Amino acid sequence: MARLKSSVLRWLLIGLAISFSLGVVALSVYLVQLDRDVRERFAGVRWVLPAQVYAAPLEIYPGAPMTVEVLRHELDRLGYRRADDLLGPGTYVAAGNELRIETRAFTYWDGAQPEARIEVRGSASGLESIRQLGSDKAVELMRLDPMLIGSIYPSHTGEDRVLVKLSELPSLLPRTLVLVEDHGFEEHGGVSLRGILRAAFANLRAGHTVQGASTITQQLIKNLFLSNEQTLKRKITEIFMALLLERHVSKHDILEAYLNEVWLGQDGARAIHGFGLASHFYFNKPINELRPEEVAMLVGIVKGPTVYNPRRRPELVRERRDLVLKVMAEGGLIRPDELELALAQPLGVSAAGTGGAERYPAYIDLVRRQLKGLYREEDLNGEGLRIFTTLDPRVQEALETRIVTDLPELEKSRRLPANTLQGAGVVTSVEGGEVLAMVGDRNTHFPGFNRALDSRRPIGSLAKPFVYLSALEQPGRYNLHSLLQDEVVDLELPNGQRWTPKNYDRQLHGAVPLYTALAKSYNLPTVRLGLDIGVNRVHDTIQAAGFENPPELPSMFLGAIDMAPLDVAQIYSTLAASGYLTPLLAIREVTTKDGQPLERYSFKLKQTLPEGPVYLTTWAMQKVIEFGTARWAVSVLPAGQKFAGKTGTTDDARDSWFAGFGADRVAVVWVGRDDNKPVGLDGAAGALRIWGRLMRDVGARGIDLTPPASVEEALIDPQSGLKADEGCAGALTVPFLVGAVPSEYAPCANARESTPLNWLKDIFR
Amino acid sequence: MSVRVSPFLRRAAPVLLLLLSACATEREVPSGSPAAPVPVVRPPLAPPAQPQAPAETPPLVTRPLPAPPGGYPKSIRESGAGTAVLALARQAQESRAAGRYEASLGQLERALRIEPRNPFVWQALAETHLLLQHADQAENAAQKSTSLGRGNPYLESGNWRLIAAARQQKGDGSGAQHATSRADELSGGLSTTP
Repeated sequence: MARLKSSVLRWLLIGLAISFSLGVVALSVYLVQLDRDVRERFAGVRWVLPAQVYAAPLEIYPGAPMTVEVLRHELDRLGYRRADDLLGPGTYVAAGNELRIETRAFTYWDGAQPEARIEVRGSASGLESIRQLGSDKAVELMRLDPMLIGSIYPSHTGEDRVLVKLSELPSLLPRTLVLVEDHGFEEHGGVSLRGILRAAFANLRAGHTVQGASTITQQLIKNLFLSNEQTLKRKITEIFMALLLERHVSKHDILEAYLNEVWLGQDGARAIHGFGLASHFYFNKPINELRPEEVAMLVGIVKGPTVYNPRRRPELVRERRDLVLKVMAEGGLIRPDELELALAQPLGVSAAGTGGAERYPAYIDLVRRQLKGLYREEDLNGEGLRIFTTLDPRVQEALETRIVTDLPELEKSRRLPANTLQGAGVVTSVEGGEVLAMVGDRNTHFPGFNRALDSRRPIGSLAKPFVYLSALEQPGRYNLHSLLQDEVVDLELPNGQRWTPKNYDRQLHGAVPLYTALAKSYNLPTVRLGLDIGVNRVHDTIQAAGFENPPELPSMFLGAIDMAPLDVAQIYSTLAASGYLTPLLAIREVTTKDGQPLERYSFKLKQTLPEGPVYLTTWAMQKVIEFGTARWAVSVLPAGQKFAGKTGTTDDARDSWFAGFGADRVAVVWVGRDDNKPVGLDGAAGALRIWGRLMRDVGARGIDLTPPASVEEALIDPQSGLKADEGCAGALTVPFLVGAVPSEYAPCANARESTPLNWLKDIFR
Repeated sequence: MSVRVSPFLRRAAPVLLLLLSACATEREVPSGSPAAPVPVVRPPLAPPAQPQAPAETPPLVTRPLPAPPGGYPKSIRESGAGTAVLALARQAQESRAAGRYEASLGQLERALRIEPRNPFVWQALAETHLLLQHADQAENAAQKSTSLGRGNPYLESGNWRLIAAARQQKGDGSGAQHATSRADELSGGLSTTP
């Protein structure tokens, strides 16, 4: 009996020993495997770094046409903080017409610009002087750090981040994080027994989970490698992996990884990862400019950004922030007086969509498309490329303001139902072909259908300048004063249909000078002119201006060509640049994440239209504003300056267009409805209103009125279209291509006799 | 309130209107309205003009423009450029001297964003493109400089020399020769060479 007992016991013990040994072996194998796994996976952690997209930097220099007030507005937009003293980069002091600024360092494609303390003085007309504080050295020009306007993140994960290095951060953020999330971080080996016991005790006392016991290491492991499920197996794996990770990786690297990985909020489909991006997302400024209360808020919301959403639940988040601030003070990270000051501050979170990122969806859309052909998707999504664009935030703001305020105003004044009009606009620079601003929806922050790129509508009379330009290229046949017949057109088209276009006012105006026909946008003379010079020539002109394959039909003379606003901007910018075609670009430079230049997109231009005839056409387009269909614009444009443009209206006023330019800006505006129903607005009543105020608001400069060398000016008698002299009343200076001035004198010239009629005329002069 | 109009004035009104319209500025005149019949002049029915010279070559028909008061500027310093543009032009020059051509282009383009119509900056841009063997860009920028120079012979002769060099680079010998002779022609007319 005893023998039996002892032998059973022996076998039991042996069995136990064997299974224990097997268990140990299995565990060892498991741990060895897990160890290799952890090492490999952590070494292989490559942050998904979306390309960062920047606006154009603002150049400040003595003589810059901006007031100190405007500059201050720009600083605010960049997240610079107004203070009584310069308190580090990103702060400024304002006093009357004087600004002292401590600028941020920034690495541009052509090198780094260090931080600087400067003083800017200005007047009503612009900036007057800039000097370096402390040295009195005059500054000739400098760039302000460009605004981060978005990123190109992978659509499948939506993961967006701005990488930060622990060594480059002020210590307050990591220290606060450790204090709040994992007090024993520096001591524990990946798992904190004390923490677990403390949490268990607290949870027991409360009867439910109030405290987590996960260390920063465990949280990182979970975020990086494990699923979100709450199982024992996952928890055990997490603990083992945390212990193993600590054996191979320094505390510094673990903390740095955590700072970049942790999820801190959601912006639609975009997930905000890491403190670097969160700082921009919530406070519109770089992470090293965060103040204690801002650090406290960011650390506070680590607990759960869905619940602790500063924009949705500010009171809750403020409570949490204040708690963190008190912990910071208890831990000795901030002094009591700093605590008091911080507690008194509001949350200070920028309103959704007012921060740089994701503020300009239409523009980012354009950038994305232009990048598409240039870089691989995964490079854009993951390599942290820095994309420097041509966006001018001031011009963009002006365009947005116009669309947002003028569309409802148009609806109101025209008694249209509210929210039925849609609008889109593009502004470009004349000589460089840079896209400065773009809006694709009246809800300018809505990242949906981008009408500036994708809404292709008939352009109506916007096509006419190209008909007239084609004619003016033939100086032997046409000049600006050639008389065109405004008579009925009845045309049989190749398909057998009859085409009988009408004038917009349904009237016939007899013989009209060519430039008047354009200025008043008469359809019939335009069609007759187009037919005379030939569809193919007009086709070639539009193509030379930068639009591929326009249809070769007579209806094209009146704008039966579908274009998006950006297409129109392209062909009008060729006119604005005296016949030089410059492909419109939104990207200037691309660098690696460390600032190594990869690509620079130089100004590209090619003369595709002859300068002289373009000058003549532009002259006639000035008449559109002076006395033609766009007269209204005179009331808003700066007095004494000339601008050129054209109204466009399509059948039944479904589309209202205006496109035009000065010396340095081209702007195109479209107003219409998405369902393509008539809006009851012609180009002048709709789009022109937005265009005129827009050109005023962006400070566009008037056209250079010096004719090019291929053009000469002559005095013309408006009655006969022949050469005039001082004897002719109301004579008009008209430009002609050299050698094409009419040689014959008008009856009024040199032949003035003292008739009663002349005497009477003199009285009225 | 009604205004009494004398019968004479009433009869004379159309005439007066006609006269007024003749005296008015360009704005009101060419409306061709039935009230003011204008003698109809048909567009000269000359045979269709020859197709335009290819757009790449600037028009050969130029006229000597009256020089602006004080004469044509010979350099960017005389062109009325602001200090920022002068600083950038100087930096671009330094970059070029150091062989950093891309940086030089970038600085010149910064200058053009401030003064897009300064022909001297366009000329410097053409020079730098030439050094980078961007023959087409060099020629186009030089041409742009000439356009914006509005008859400035100093600029123009320099631009023709740049165009000649660019064409040489492209292997267009006769084009280069033509450009050189244009440059010589213009330089010949100047008391001092630019």
